[in-house]
Amino acid sequence: MIGPRYVPLVLKQVVRHRVRSLLTVAGVAIAMYLFVAIQTMQRGVAESTQATAADTTLVVYREDRFCPFSSRLPEYYLPQIEQIEGVQSVVPIRVVVNNCRASLDVVTFRGVPRDRFVETIGKGTEVLGGSLKDWQRRSDAALVGETLAARRGLKVGDTFDAAGITAYVAGILDSDQAQDQNVAYVHLDYLQQQTDKQLGVVTQFNVKVDDPARLNAVAQQIDELYASAEHPTTTRSEKAFVAQVAGDMIELIGFTKLLGWGCLAAVLALVGNAIVLSVQDRIKEHAVLQTLGFNGWLIGRLIVTEAVVLGVIGGLVGAAGALTTIQLTRVSFSVDGLSIPIRAEPQLLATGLLIAVLLGVLAGLVPAVQAARRPIASCFRAV
Amino acid sequence: MPLIECRQLSKTYRKGAGTIKPLDGLDLDIDAGRFLALMGPSGSGKTTLLNLIAGIDRPSEGALTIGGQNIAKLSRSRLAAWRADHVGYVFQLYNLVPVLTAYENVELPLLLHKLTRRERHERVATALSLVGLADRHDHYPRQLSGGQEQRVAIARAIVTDPQIIVADEPTGDLDKPSAHAVMELLCRLNSELNKTLIMVTHDAATAEYADQTLHLDKGRLVEHSVQAAFSGETATTRPEEGAAR
Repeated sequence: MIGPRYVPLVLKQVVRHRVRSLLTVAGVAIAMYLFVAIQTMQRGVAESTQATAADTTLVVYREDRFCPFSSRLPEYYLPQIEQIEGVQSVVPIRVVVNNCRASLDVVTFRGVPRDRFVETIGKGTEVLGGSLKDWQRRSDAALVGETLAARRGLKVGDTFDAAGITAYVAGILDSDQAQDQNVAYVHLDYLQQQTDKQLGVVTQFNVKVDDPARLNAVAQQIDELYASAEHPTTTRSEKAFVAQVAGDMIELIGFTKLLGWGCLAAVLALVGNAIVLSVQDRIKEHAVLQTLGFNGWLIGRLIVTEAVVLGVIGGLVGAAGALTTIQLTRVSFSVDGLSIPIRAEPQLLATGLLIAVLLGVLAGLVPAVQAARRPIASCFRAV
Repeated sequence: MPLIECRQLSKTYRKGAGTIKPLDGLDLDIDAGRFLALMGPSGSGKTTLLNLIAGIDRPSEGALTIGGQNIAKLSRSRLAAWRADHVGYVFQLYNLVPVLTAYENVELPLLLHKLTRRERHERVATALSLVGLADRHDHYPRQLSGGQEQRVAIARAIVTDPQIIVADEPTGDLDKPSAHAVMELLCRLNSELNKTLIMVTHDAATAEYADQTLHLDKGRLVEHSVQAAFSGETATTRPEEGAAR
């Protein structure tokens, strides 16, 4: 945009009014901090709820129930569901949470049969530290999602208590699946005994279908099978299930989009205000530069670059601050045992910086055009 | 052939509902290497004429040819490029950029030219030496006296080696010794480097440094004086008596 030889000139102008520039950068940083934090939530919602053509998992839940405490299905549904054409595998899961409300620190236990654990977790999941064999051997063993482990400071060999259940950390799970990062997988029978002493009762079945195109047909068959049973079911794709069960929270997070736009507007206004004031202070100086031979287009580019510098410094500080906070706190929105992951992804830093550059250009554009088009002689007369 | 030719040069400004005409059909030729002083009461059009010659304003009517080029017809950006190559401007109030050092201020016009950092450095060092401020290169304007600031401004005006230097009351804000030093410097630029100098001044003593003085009133040339070199004697003509050359 400008040659490197002009960079010292721009930087000197940026630090000319130190307090003003610092306040502007601080304002931009705060706004970008909020914006990036909101973006991480939006991404978490998208990751958890947006269906893709490759989705093959169904969740069978008790009809008209939305909480793991109230969804109770008999475990004997398992072989019946397995018989349905198109079903590849079925995993009965018991879910226990220490807090049924929406919270940033929920511990979710998922009880799964030890011989079906591998079917439960996705392909992108691996056990870091500890081992799957340890987990299979020990009845109170838990494989803890990385986010939960980081938040609670858990490591392999630790024992922890939550929701009245004591579990031994046999391994840490690293997963690209949103729902696996914030849970502790334990043995189904152990969880059943520890909670309500009811063996044979599960919260849900996770059903893998052999072809994504058959997802709806299989769901319909399952629900028809139990339509007149004592425990009727509602079967949905996993992401649709998350979208419905965590609907209120997702709606709230969706509302934060507006706040995100508000943050960007604040950045625009802050940088714009700083540049307008700066340009007004320097009408005569710009006329002097033009007298020396700087053309209006170059003056305009220098002004826009000043705005971009302010925006980028603030954007960098704010975005890096938000991502660092998220990385350190490892929070995750949870409701009814379902998680909306909040992850510090490096591309958000790049997105934040790109937006800061664009906002800087936008904020500097009007004062730049005004300064570029102002007749030189009139600037000297006006001052 | 004169370096600067003004033909029926007029400038009109709008002011409220009316208009003002600081220059009104001026004819003037200025040869290369001259040191010309422009004098006259406030509003006589001398600064307007200076600005037109410097290419920072445009005539409303007439032709202004400098070095064979009618600069009134140049586009905004080409006029800026022309200024960068041909004109150095010295202001009454120096107009240095306060956040830049003396060195950086002098370097500013060179940024527009395709020069390496080293070439720029050499030129800035030469210009600062010429004005006697080689040891003040890292000083900011606030750390310099008025006379020193004006010398830095002169260094900035000559660093690109322009053909024409225009000065708008260059001693108007200086005490007598500083004013004398600045005028001596301008005279050297004229005599030793053969720069064409056009200076606006209110002060008759300052005008005596020039080899020609033009008196303007109401946008017209009213008197033309030529100082005889070294003797201090002055021959005066009226425009109707002869060309203002």
